[in-house]
Amino acid sequence: MTKKIISLSLVFGLSLLARSSASWACAVCWAGDTGPTADAYNWSVLFLLTAPYTVMGSIAAWLFYTYRRSAATREKSDGVEPLVQLTWNPEESGR
Amino acid sequence: MYIARRPGFGGGKPPPPVRPNIPFASNAWLAVLMLLGAEAMFFAGLIGAFLVFRIANPVWPPPFQPRLPIEVTGVNTIILLASAITIRLGLKAIQRGDRTRGIRFLSLTAAGGLIFLSIQGFEWLRLLHFGLTLSSSIYGGLFYTIIGCHAVHVFAALVWLLVVWYEATAGKYTRQNYVGLQTCSMYWVFVVALWPLLYGLVYLY
Repeated sequence: MTKKIISLSLVFGLSLLARSSASWACAVCWAGDTGPTADAYNWSVLFLLTAPYTVMGSIAAWLFYTYRRSAATREKSDGVEPLVQLTWNPEESGR
Repeated sequence: MYIARRPGFGGGKPPPPVRPNIPFASNAWLAVLMLLGAEAMFFAGLIGAFLVFRIANPVWPPPFQPRLPIEVTGVNTIILLASAITIRLGLKAIQRGDRTRGIRFLSLTAAGGLIFLSIQGFEWLRLLHFGLTLSSSIYGGLFYTIIGCHAVHVFAALVWLLVVWYEATAGKYTRQNYVGLQTCSMYWVFVVALWPLLYGLVYLY
């Protein structure tokens, strides 16, 4: 049984060698290195390559901006003496 | 705890004031932000497909295909861009506590979205009449897929806005509680900001 499988695999492998047309490494290599189709794929790939970084960068920038704005608002409100602090401060409470 | 700080019962430096632990963004806000990221990637895929066909074909639009209505859609673009301003003004008004002004701006935004969709629909009917269909050519296929997907998003945003508008008239949104309106505004502004890019690529490029 093993011999049969090896023989069949060998025949299949040799039959691939008999194929005359070239085998391409990628699905769109038929477009060649130059020309409008190759340019089109290059630009599209470049665009899709940058898209995730742009999206994630925008989300990160938005989160950072919102966090900074929230922190600034909180710092601004720090000038107001919280009522809770009075109950903890022995000097101000006079006790 | 207070008794322990009295003279004779220990004491010392008072602890820092107690502050409520308020997160800098709501969960709904973060969820919509993630949704917008996914939507942006979805449209990036469509734009990538468009670039392949557009750059590979120096003659664009292909021969015997109707030309797209650039001027009317340009006016439509201005209407849509204006609606992004009005929804932001509506949100600001609600955040200030001015509910009447906020509802007025939300109504204007909904009207802008409705006008945009109506003009788009009218132009689509004309293009179909001139022979540009989804299967007439790759040009028609790309046009209806990309612009159609955007129109579906505008429609979804409009439905969401109408729900928010109804809630605003019912007095749900106040100076402290406006997350529903805020997330709707984020989505609306995203859909509007996407349009000039699609208009430039599909109609002008």
